Amino acid sequence: MPLIEALGLTKVYQLGRVEVRALRGVDVVVERGEYVAVTGPSGSGKSTLMHILGCLDSPTSGAYELDGKSVAGLRGRALAHVRNRKVGFVFQTFNLMPRMTVEENVALPLQYRGGHSRQARLRRARTLLERFGLGDRIGHRPDELSGGERQRVAVARALIGDPAILMVDEPTGNLDSEAGAEILRAFREVHAAGNTIVMVTHDAAVAAEADRGIHIADGQVAA
Amino acid sequence: MSLLEALLVGLAEARRHLGQTLLSLLGLILGTSSIVTVLALFGGQSKVTQDYIAEVGGFGTVIVRDREQSQRPTARELASDRLTYRDARYLKERATTLSAVAPGYFSEFEYRAGGIHFRGPVIGTTPDYAAINDITPLVGRYLSDLDVWRKARVAVLGWKYADSLFGTPDAALGRRVDIGGRSFTVVGVLEREYFSFAVWAGNELEYRNERAYIPVTTAFNQFTGNDDRLSFLTLKAASPTGARVAQQQVTALLRFRHGVEDFDITPSGGGGNSDADFFLLFNFIFLVVGVVSLVAGGVVIANILLASVVERVREFGTRMALGATGFQIFAQVLAQVVVVAVIGGALGLTLGWALTGTVAYFMKMPAAVTPMIATLAIVTSLTVGFVAGLYPAFRAARLSPVEALRYA
Repeated sequence: MPLIEALGLTKVYQLGRVEVRALRGVDVVVERGEYVAVTGPSGSGKSTLMHILGCLDSPTSGAYELDGKSVAGLRGRALAHVRNRKVGFVFQTFNLMPRMTVEENVALPLQYRGGHSRQARLRRARTLLERFGLGDRIGHRPDELSGGERQRVAVARALIGDPAILMVDEPTGNLDSEAGAEILRAFREVHAAGNTIVMVTHDAAVAAEADRGIHIADGQVAA
Repeated sequence: MSLLEALLVGLAEARRHLGQTLLSLLGLILGTSSIVTVLALFGGQSKVTQDYIAEVGGFGTVIVRDREQSQRPTARELASDRLTYRDARYLKERATTLSAVAPGYFSEFEYRAGGIHFRGPVIGTTPDYAAINDITPLVGRYLSDLDVWRKARVAVLGWKYADSLFGTPDAALGRRVDIGGRSFTVVGVLEREYFSFAVWAGNELEYRNERAYIPVTTAFNQFTGNDDRLSFLTLKAASPTGARVAQQQVTALLRFRHGVEDFDITPSGGGGNSDADFFLLFNFIFLVVGVVSLVAGGVVIANILLASVVERVREFGTRMALGATGFQIFAQVLAQVVVVAVIGGALGLTLGWALTGTVAYFMKMPAAVTPMIATLAIVTSLTVGFVAGLYPAFRAARLSPVEALRYA
């Protein structure tokens, strides 16, 4: 059974009076342990696809099973629970909480899950941060870190809840080439450890890191 | 996320956004402290008003007066003797709900002693009057039953008159004073009566120091040709709470005697005192100011929070991506404002307490911040904060995660 099985996904939304058909019937299958790159020009619908696959949004029509569970019809609170348990996000702009320390940032998903004491959450966050070479940064604020360090903090945060899948959006977009290479190395390691990764990018060199690519154009999968 | 955790997050959020927290706090502190101060002063003032009522006869004292005769009086009205000393003795005998009955004859006469003379009020009454009005002699004694029985030409002087006529109260005792052309022996001088609503206000009871009391029977004998009509009747109910029942009984008894209701019964004290009214108004205005500043504080908080929600749309989007539910976002924003409201309420209470002490000290007004007022202040501050936080929290919780993340 594949980890992601999405069939005939469509997404239509209203932009003022204009009806935007962002996805026009997309089929995506991702096996466990795969490293997949979703590519396409801007406006192609690849971001919309990632939002739906990452359970940030629900499709207008189509079927979507994530980790054996149908999630296409879920909304609000139920979708938030799926995101919290099954999905880890890494954003282009890192999206760290500026007024929290590094370890507090990493522990945040566990706080929303509940059931862990603050001590337990922070202990787990520190373990992960050490794994990413940030053991000496746990008490710092994000603005005291370099771009590459911030992105590694974001990866640690995405992984803390043991998600089924890592959703990565343009991970190198805001990094210089050296930091970019460093973060791609980190993803290779995470992948090697058995994690499934879906990465959205328009950078062919970055996409080449993945096992395979899915190219989106005009809201459809291009051959 | 437990309630405690939500509050801890709220505290952390409040600390992280120190600027907004301080601004919100200011609004809450000002509002709460002014409400505390006003309520404390108000409480003190209403105690003063109660003291005043107790001083002028207390609760349970009623006064009976002749009602003004109608334009075309009926035969029954014309047949009535109006309020008389006989009524007073009848009530004393029959009215079981009363503990004291004091008849009152009132007139103005010329006072004369040595070279000094002036016009002033004279009250003809019985010993009961002293019991009802809490009058105590400074020197000598008050009127006695024997004085009334003998129609004795004796007078008890108010403190001011004794002072004016004889120099000192002590010097007045046993001396003769000419009232309305008749000679009276001074058998007592009363204590000076004083009551003030505030240091700057005058003596509310000065009129009581400027009069003389003579036996009511003497007044009729000397001045009215034995016409025993009264100016007023002061009655004291047997229990302070029994004034209503007493009033009903007195009405029934007097109507039986007069054949018509040609008298008015009014409770003594309360009402009609302009100074007391002034202080009520004064307090009311400050209470309004307090409420307005608290509401203004609430609006400030709501605005600051709304602005901060807009400012943090991406943050909420990220939190949602990490698995925060709408309710958790709602709780986070609300917990932040609740923490601020509790701190603001506590600081406002402290400031209000200090302010109350200062005002009470300099204006010599009684005031106290009671546990009741303290509770009310905290609850009010919390309510204002909560209401102000509801809408911004609701707005944040309803954001769609995709749009929130896209927000620049």
